[in-house]
Order: sequence, then C-alpha cells, then structure tokens
Amino acid sequence: MRGVKDYIVRDMIKWFRSPVSVVSMLVMPAAWLIFVGLALPVSFTGNYLDFITPGILVMTMLSSSLNGGTLLMFDKILGFLNKFLALPTPRESILVGKILFITIRGAIQATIILVIAVLIGATILSPAQYGMIYLILLLFGFLMSACATTIALYLGDHDSYAAFNTMISMPLFFTSSALMPYNVMPAWLRTIARLNPLSYAIDAVRAAGAGTVPLLQIGLLVAMGGVVIAICMQMFRRVTV
Amino acid sequence: MNAIETTGLTKYYDKLCAVDHLSLLVNNEIFALLGPNGSGKTTTVLMLTTLLRPTEGSAAICGHDVVREGEEVRKRLSYVPQDMAVDIKLTGRENVLLFARLYGIANPKDTTDEVLAIMELSDRADDLIRTYSGGMRRRLELAQALVHEPDVLFLDEPTIGLDVTARKKIWEHIRQLRKNGMTIFVTTHYMDEADQFCDRVGIISRGAIVALDTPAALKAQLEKDVITAKVSGSPGPVEIGGVRCVGQMNGEITFTADNGREAMPLIVRALETQGIMVTSLSMREPTLDDVFLHAVGTAEEPGHFDYQQFRTMLRRRK
Repeated sequence: MRGVKDYIVRDMIKWFRSPVSVVSMLVMPAAWLIFVGLALPVSFTGNYLDFITPGILVMTMLSSSLNGGTLLMFDKILGFLNKFLALPTPRESILVGKILFITIRGAIQATIILVIAVLIGATILSPAQYGMIYLILLLFGFLMSACATTIALYLGDHDSYAAFNTMISMPLFFTSSALMPYNVMPAWLRTIARLNPLSYAIDAVRAAGAGTVPLLQIGLLVAMGGVVIAICMQMFRRVTV
Repeated sequence: MNAIETTGLTKYYDKLCAVDHLSLLVNNEIFALLGPNGSGKTTTVLMLTTLLRPTEGSAAICGHDVVREGEEVRKRLSYVPQDMAVDIKLTGRENVLLFARLYGIANPKDTTDEVLAIMELSDRADDLIRTYSGGMRRRLELAQALVHEPDVLFLDEPTIGLDVTARKKIWEHIRQLRKNGMTIFVTTHYMDEADQFCDRVGIISRGAIVALDTPAALKAQLEKDVITAKVSGSPGPVEIGGVRCVGQMNGEITFTADNGREAMPLIVRALETQGIMVTSLSMREPTLDDVFLHAVGTAEEPGHFDYQQFRTMLRRRK
C-alpha cells in the first residue's frame, strides 16, 4: 500500500528524537522484571524469572499499544490528519501505517526487555522459539494497537483517553496469567484470566518457550485481531468522511 | 474547464445550515472568501478538498466531482489548513520529503530541494522545525503543498498570527504562484490583504455569498465617501440630504455621504450655524472593511447598520 512506509518513517523519526519517551516506556516492564521477577518468593516454580518473562513481554507490547492509541488522535487534533486525508495517497495507509508503527515500536521495546531478562538469568531459547514468540507478540500488537486506536478515535480527546488507559492497563495485567499459573489462582480469578486476551498471548509465548506450537491461541489472536481491525477501519472511515 | 465550480453546494450540521446553496466559479486567479467567524468559510474549503461530504449540491475541481472522484480531485489540489501542522521534531527537509514521497512524485529528493529554495528555506532546511519562526513554518507548509505542482491551492487563513513582514512574504509567494498559472483559493479575515492581493473576493455570511466581485468593484458599489470632522463642543443632530452621521467620539464626528466633496461645505455650514467650530475636515474612499460591514452587518443585524458603521469608525481610529 502506497504511503504506509512513509507514515511509519515519520513516526519512527519522531519517536527516536524523544529519548525521554523511549526510555520511560521501558522503565515499568524492566522494573517488574527485576524487582518482581527476581525477588518474589514463589513455590510453584524453580525459576520465576522464566515464568514471568512472557508476561512482561506481553505487558511491554500492551503498554506500547495503549500509549500508541494517542498518536492518530493527536494527528487528528493537531490538523495533520486533515492534511494527510487531502493527499492522493490511499487514506487507509494512514491507519495501517499507524498500527504497524505502534506494533514495531512495541517489538523493539520487547527486544530490549528480552535482552535484560536473559542478562539477569532467563533461559536462552532456540532461534525457532524466538521466531514463534515474535510472531505471537506481533499478532498481539496488531490486536491491541488497533483496539487502542479505535477507542482513542471514539473518545476523541486526550484526557478521556488517558483516563481510559490508566483504568484498563493494570487490571488487564493482574487478571491475566502473567504472574501465576492457573492452578494456583483462586477459582474466580481463574475464570477471568481464561477470558482475558492478554492470557492468550502470554500462554502462547510460554508454550513457545516450552517447545510446543500454540495453534489454538495463535488462531484466537488472529481471529480477534481480524475483527478489531475491521471495526477500527469502520471507525476510521467514520471520522474521516 | 473551470478550476473550481460549485452548484448549490450545501452543508447542514444537523439542523444548522453552515453553507447554503453556494454557487461559485473560480479560475486562474486568487480568490478570497471573506466572512465573519462561523460563516461557513472553512466548511466550504473542507467540502472542496474532499474532507467533508456535502449535504446537497455538487462541487468539481478541474472537472472532477469532489464526492464521486475524490482521488482524482486530490491529485489536483493541495490544502494548507489553518492549524500550522508541521512536525516540530522533524527538519524542514524531512517535513517536505514526507509529502513528496506521499504524493508519489518521480524525484522526491530533488523536488524537495527545489521547493525549499523557492520558499527561501534552503539554508535552514536541516534545522528542526522547533527552531523555525511562525512565518517560516507557514512557508514550509506552502513548500509541502507545492511539491506535486497542484492546479488548485487551498489556503485556510494563510497569514493568521504572522507579523507584517511574514504576511507580505507569504502573499508575494502566492502572487508568484498565480502568475505561474495556479488557481488559489484563500479564506481570510484580513480585509486589507484581500484588497491588496486578491483578484476577486466573495463575502460569505451565514453560509451564503452576499457580495462577489473584484475588490475595486465592490468598493465602487458602496458609492459612499467617509467624512470625519474634528470639532470643538458637542453639536446636536445634523440634518443634510444625502449625508448620514454615523458616529461621534472624542470631538470627532463621522459622516457618510453619497458625494463627499459636495457634502463637506454643507456639513461645515450646518455645524457653524449651531455655533460649533470645525477645526479639521477629512474625506476618504471606502475600504473593503466598509464593504464587508455593509454586506455582513446588514445581513446579520437588520436595522443596526449605524451601530456597525460606528464600530468600524472606532476601530479605524486606533
């Protein structure tokens, strides 16, 4: 699609030129990895760091996606969107470029988190396993960035979106399978965790780490991603005509 | 084929009619749409640039319908909104190159250099926009709009918030583009700019065109001279045929008259019979401001024309 690459390059340059935001978005997942992953005394596994790393990788993708939701909204508020929409470039390229940029940015951050995890003692996996993990993270990234972008476009102003972001990110993380396996969860939490899309991604990354191919979870992520991207396209067309 | 052609173009926001059956023909010229805030200027531009769907009527750019042939229309136009949307973390060159690439033109890098040179930004091309002044940012936006050599250029308030020098520079560039054959459609609040630089002016009020002609013809239509008299003391009402007192403040009285030269001695005489000394007397031709207030003021506040006129007089005195 014409223009997608150019829109991604624009966002990339802007991102790399704000070092504060590059670093600040890594602090939270790195802190979880180090202070919780290394320090929490748990009895269900010998290497808690290996257990929590998939959860933190998915969390990194999640926070990158949720933060990315504001990008298209600000382009709209600041007048960039109208300039882009008046170009002969296909209009959908704007949205596709945004979703791809947010996902790529999340993957770069996840890579840094993965390196930190390995440095502080996580088990090193085979290239095929890492390939699978990245596939899962990218699928999850598409799903979440499309979701965040849609909600931001729907809410339309930054304050409402920031409130939504704060409201959703922590509960979503705590009700997933990021911190503990299903069998040690209380029954009520287990039910919620099974429905949480974060869990699909985390379980899939864990399965890849254990050497199996999590077809069910990948299928679920693809299906959900498809639905959300379709809704997002609709929302985008609605705000742009 | 007309560069811009609209027929009964109408836009309703729910029940509010923002643009009301607008019919316009614009060709190789600088056309200014003047109007008070909320009169439908921006809505018109948004419809013409395919960013908003008309409720009724139609519009065509270079013969292509804005609703049915959106992409063809967008190939022929450039749009600079009033928000000054340039990426401050990108350099001037990067900002223009982005648009050159998005337009899909053959030689993006060379074209970028060219338009930056035209807009006199070459020496600052590799600085971040953060360090640019308002005028430079506006010129950069023009550079972005010019990379694909559009047939029609839409500028929404191109000089808003700029100082006099920067405004003049922007208008020089716009004039040059017109000479090269481009059609330029601007909206503006600045009457003096429309008067000086635009070929034709349309005054829009409540979504409808209330006056449409060259600035000179519009001023001629008003057919009134404006006379200001400095006096000592406060005179009572002055009754002279064809002369109208429109304001009195700080020892100055302002009149409009059909024939100023003949009215001046009559005014002096009328005042002197009241025992008022006239210390100075001046007459001037109407400006586009007068035309604007005449057209818009009467349309919006029927019966309050004197008050509107009075306010113009006050404003001009500053």
